[in-house]
Amino acid sequence: MTDRILIIEDDARLAAMVGEYLAESGFRVTAHETAADGLAALKREPFDALILDLMLPDRDGLAVCGEIRAASDIPILMLTARGEATDRVVGLELGADDYLPKPFNPRELLARLRAILRRRKGAGPANGLRFGRLEIDRGARVVRVDGEERALTSHQFDLLVALAEHAGRVLSREQLMDLLRGEALEAFDRSIDVHISRIRSAIEDDPKRPRRIITVRGAGYVFARSQDADGADR
Amino acid sequence: MRRLYLQLYLTVVASLIVFALAAGYLWRVLVHVAPPPQAAELAGEIAQGALPPPDAPREAQQAALDRLSAGGRVQIALYAPDGTRIAQVGPQLLGPGEARHRAALPWGGRRVWTLELPDGRWIAARLPRRERPPLAPLGLVATLGLLAIAVAVGAYPVVRRATRRLERLKSSVEALGAGDLAARVKVEGRDEVGALAASFNRSAERIEGLVTAHKTLLANASHELRSPLARIRMAVEMLRTEARPELRAGIERDIAELDALVDEILLASRLDAVPTLEPREDVDLLALAAEECARVDAALEGDQLMVRGNARLLRRMIRNLLENARRHGAGSAIEVALRKTADKVELRVCDRGPGVPEVERERIFEPFYRPGGAREREGGVGLGLALVRQIARRHGGEARCLARAGGGSCFEVLLPA
Repeated sequence: MTDRILIIEDDARLAAMVGEYLAESGFRVTAHETAADGLAALKREPFDALILDLMLPDRDGLAVCGEIRAASDIPILMLTARGEATDRVVGLELGADDYLPKPFNPRELLARLRAILRRRKGAGPANGLRFGRLEIDRGARVVRVDGEERALTSHQFDLLVALAEHAGRVLSREQLMDLLRGEALEAFDRSIDVHISRIRSAIEDDPKRPRRIITVRGAGYVFARSQDADGADR
Repeated sequence: MRRLYLQLYLTVVASLIVFALAAGYLWRVLVHVAPPPQAAELAGEIAQGALPPPDAPREAQQAALDRLSAGGRVQIALYAPDGTRIAQVGPQLLGPGEARHRAALPWGGRRVWTLELPDGRWIAARLPRRERPPLAPLGLVATLGLLAIAVAVGAYPVVRRATRRLERLKSSVEALGAGDLAARVKVEGRDEVGALAASFNRSAERIEGLVTAHKTLLANASHELRSPLARIRMAVEMLRTEARPELRAGIERDIAELDALVDEILLASRLDAVPTLEPREDVDLLALAAEECARVDAALEGDQLMVRGNARLLRRMIRNLLENARRHGAGSAIEVALRKTADKVELRVCDRGPGVPEVERERIFEPFYRPGGAREREGGVGLGLALVRQIARRHGGEARCLARAGGGSCFEVLLPA
């Protein structure tokens, strides 16, 4: 069944392009330029997800988000200009499911939209980690890039989770071993570098020039906190 | 700090003390004024009655003077109308001819009184050292004391109130200066302090309005600039042309560059406007540097170390340094070193590019500075290095540009460990 998406975005040309792009991926998209029209449409018709711009001509997107969330649990993806880190927090506090700064990578928009739809339909509360286009679902033990599943062994998945849960910290091989203690340990020992290399093949765009799992010479590995177009804002 | 109210209050109290001392002194001096002229006339007649007539022999005059001197206790001398001395008990009191010019006032260190007799003779007398002139009567002292206490007690609240208002005004001014644009002060009184408070409030109102307008303008500008960027980004994705992939990659890079520039302008203005550094957290600087180095294929070596700061700003700082090295390093390898010294964390980003002439090593930290001879295509340094320095200073550190041995340049950031 096709998911119906409502876009409330004052930039009609952008909304039209997003609509066309999402339609190519099998969504049915309706766009409105004002909060009033969008809210009216939301009352009139059923939608599966909402893409909401932060700055609307008639109202503040955050207030609109709060109002919608008070009445419905429709997944909401907020679009805003990058730079105001607090907006992200406030947006999520007000009930938005995710947030994407403009200008965004359309593929990332698609991936995030699919993720919030999946989360709503799926098994209750999210147990996922998201880094740009990369999504780690700890509950389902699945890793996706651009919404597409990538194959990892169970050990590799554990290693990836250990790294990702400490994103932005350099972890030595010993620290990684400690973190994985209790898991099936024999698979690791000295072959940790080999496993890292396998994980890279699965999740890196260019495994030869890794951007997600980075080697720090003489120190260990670091899982990048800022990935893809996230920029310096995360 | 010397408190204003204390200064004012101590001035009042000091004035009171000076006033009391002056009053006491004048009391002592003026209360003992000369007796009225009638008293002198009467005393002259009595003295004449006690003395032999002017034509009596000198011995008789001396004998009478001896009697008058009360056994030598009073020094006394008798002068003829022409000033010649007739008789004397004790040392000489006045020079010849002085008597007629002396009024009945103290003379010299000790008091010499002169008195003209009705027959024209003069008497000069010095009283023995007598008790001090009487102190002011107790009632007057008590009244003065009470008055002083009343003024002191009464002045305190007045002075304190005036300066309390000034102190409140001061704390509001400081709050405004520290970035609390909503700081206002209650207007009390209709005097200068009240007027000052009112004009402070007007200024604060205006500043708040301007800053709010500035922020709104920036937020709107950011939004308006990003909307077309978002459309272009979207359009490039939808072109789906595989013919010229390098063109498409170029457009994507340009979009990212413009986006970063908008970001930097916003960040620079926010750093100017907001004095505090929030949020602060423990940042693994080696990990941060490793992430950023991976983006531009820079070589990194260093110690694992944590600094306390804003991860987002520190990331921006390292990214800008790397971006600068990439842009101006003429394609040479970028080397990043992270070291911990006794009290500092030292981050160095070095390249083997043409280097920076010594005269420009400070100026390149100016916003949008364009080095001499830079071609249009290369562009200026933009805001990148200015932000690097701003962020380093925000963390209590410093950023500078150094020459590199063997050619190229090194940018060094020192942060407190």
